[in-house]
Amino acid sequence: MAEHVILFAGPMGAGKTTAIESLSEIETIRTEATNTDRETADKDTTTVALDYGEITVGDEDKVRLYGVPGQRRFNFMWTILKERAVGLVLLVNNDAADPIEELDAFLEEFGELHEKGGIVVCVTRSDVAATPYLDKYAERIREVMPGRMIPVFTADARNGDQMRTALMSLIANIEMTAMIADSQERAA
Amino acid sequence: MTEQVGAQPVSAHKDPVVIAFANEVLDGFSDVCRSLRYATFLTDDGFEVASIAGDEKQNRRVASMASSMQALGDAVAKDLRIGGAEYIIIAAETGYVIQMRVPEHAMVLAAHFDAAETVGKALSVARLAASNMRTLVQEKAA
Repeated sequence: MAEHVILFAGPMGAGKTTAIESLSEIETIRTEATNTDRETADKDTTTVALDYGEITVGDEDKVRLYGVPGQRRFNFMWTILKERAVGLVLLVNNDAADPIEELDAFLEEFGELHEKGGIVVCVTRSDVAATPYLDKYAERIREVMPGRMIPVFTADARNGDQMRTALMSLIANIEMTAMIADSQERAA
Repeated sequence: MTEQVGAQPVSAHKDPVVIAFANEVLDGFSDVCRSLRYATFLTDDGFEVASIAGDEKQNRRVASMASSMQALGDAVAKDLRIGGAEYIIIAAETGYVIQMRVPEHAMVLAAHFDAAETVGKALSVARLAASNMRTLVQEKAA
């Protein structure tokens, strides 16, 4: 049985906790506190340590889903959780003040996960803010991570089917990366 | 902890009165406990309200880490269905850290003691400091 550890990262209010909730087959573990930083995101609670959920893929592959806090002051949790992860679902809310800048910041912080397995980008809340369009995200990804295959989706974090599509795309990338590494090792 | 001022909620870490209370409590705390190396009051979501000792960067970092620890403690307690986590102790080689929730408020005290102190005494003074903070904040609200 294979196990994958996938991180869900992105700015505060992008829908990381909701995405894990809509994907997980177990009752999720949440570490939320009253949000006192209403200027950054107008919501009642915020994740201060991690979210955790699990989903089974195929017959028996277990995927462990970890959500990290969105605020930089919790970046020690990013470091801890990044070590075990082989892939990243990066959620960016399209109604953020500058979503492309958020994309940049999180790719800079978590971009190394592409080499470990893969990254997908999910643009959320595009029903609230129609722009920037997906091509802007794709263009920026090509600029900051040239030559890397990073799929970009629009997704509603509340929609399990949409999140599953993004997750499956990531897992396919992770398995392909592992196969390539394996064949290179055997050839060497 | 968030209090209403007119229509705008003011968080504890931005409220000068609450910050003054926190400083007052921390000063008293260090007077009664010589083994105290560092202490900070923080909001549940990881903002420093006030600290004694430590530099600004360290204070902010400890507030964030203590917030995560408290939330993880609460998550474990919730999963085991044993209620909320009142306090957390981290015992290390040369000292320990006690985190104590300010009762009925979204605020936590994190305090670092050296190994000279007994856990019982440290716990007792930390509980007293958290309780004093609750009293001051409640008196202000009343």
